[in-house]
Amino acid sequence: MTFREINSKMVEATVLPGQRLFSQRGAMLAYKGDVSFTPNVQGGQGGLMSMLGRRVAGEATALMTVEGSGTVLFGHGGHHVHVIALSGDTLHVEADRLLAFEGTLRQGTMFMGSQGGVMGLVRGQVTGQGLFTTTLQGQGSVAVMAHGGVFEIPVTPQRPVHVDPQAYVAHHGDLRNRLSTALGWRDMVGRGSGEAFQLELSGNGTVYVQASEEKL
Amino acid sequence: MFRLQGSKVLAVDMTGDAVKAKNGSMVAYDGQMAFKKLSGGGEGLRGMVTRRLTGEQMTVMEVKGHGTCWFADRASEINLVGLRGDKLYVEAGNLLATDGGLRTGTTFTGLRGASQGNGLFTTTVEGHGQAAIISDGPAVVLRVSPQYPLIVDPGAYVAHQGDVRQSLQSGVTFRTLLGEGGGEAFQIRFEGDGLVYVQPSERNTIAGDL
Repeated sequence: MTFREINSKMVEATVLPGQRLFSQRGAMLAYKGDVSFTPNVQGGQGGLMSMLGRRVAGEATALMTVEGSGTVLFGHGGHHVHVIALSGDTLHVEADRLLAFEGTLRQGTMFMGSQGGVMGLVRGQVTGQGLFTTTLQGQGSVAVMAHGGVFEIPVTPQRPVHVDPQAYVAHHGDLRNRLSTALGWRDMVGRGSGEAFQLELSGNGTVYVQASEEKL
Repeated sequence: MFRLQGSKVLAVDMTGDAVKAKNGSMVAYDGQMAFKKLSGGGEGLRGMVTRRLTGEQMTVMEVKGHGTCWFADRASEINLVGLRGDKLYVEAGNLLATDGGLRTGTTFTGLRGASQGNGLFTTTVEGHGQAAIISDGPAVVLRVSPQYPLIVDPGAYVAHQGDVRQSLQSGVTFRTLLGEGGGEAFQIRFEGDGLVYVQPSERNTIAGDL
């Protein structure tokens, strides 16, 4: 594992020659050894077309490439950091939650409408994810940020999980997500329980939830 | 059954029973759950009048169903309190969840409440079961016994339980009036036998400015 959690808010990454890391710009706290940080104009991998894609999608965060040999400490804004290891599957996460990820992962953008059409778009708006979300695929690990720590909930076909859209962080695996509403007459007259919209995840995988309803 | 998952997430396993929780504090659930808004301050017409008058209107929801439900509130630390027939006094804003079987009510606290910076009334929880209270930073539980009264900063007080009398004690001197106070003009004094929950952080109170 490239990333090691030093404490709940910092990760240490080992950089080896020939391996690249991407991290959010300005998230380096300290480093040892011979490491270079270069701003990544393209905001990730995949060449010019992918860069344009991210710009258009609004999923372009200022990233930097970390290369060389040594160890680097990452942390940002006092947010809790959680390391997720991927082995071939796809992680769906918002770009601004990405602290750092390995260069071996393939970065992409997904149109929310491609999962569930118009309802997908509505879901994106309600959850604050917007119309697009970032995907990371392959072998490697990712450090994501969350407010107040992250816990994992496994999802199995017999056990769908409902998540508060504001507390949703990321998910991976073969999951379908759907916006479920529990709107009743009580919500119309201002006596709602504050849980009118939920994200329903079903299938096989893991969902990451933060201990707070605050966005980053 | 209440259990903590880490220090900031409360997991409740339910088998058809009900739990009362702060509005909007659910972060995730599996199984089948229904959410319904309730209002604090007791039931019925009397409860409604109390709420209107006291301003201690905690917006509560009732969660009922089968499965596990996770609660969290703005990354606050969560403390579990077991009640065996005794009474827990807590600020409405610091109460995250209670067992469905516990009764909640409102009591008058007088000047002490005003010094805490959260009004003249406080919420009480009574019965047999578990309650979860939140604090800014991990709370410490301090014991009060007849020989050892406890004095607490009003801004750091979270909750107390047991047979405890409380009084306001002031350290106001002529220096305070000259604007040379030490920032500790008022304290709450607890006497009797019980437990007091104190958080490592202070709310803004009138006393803190003096």
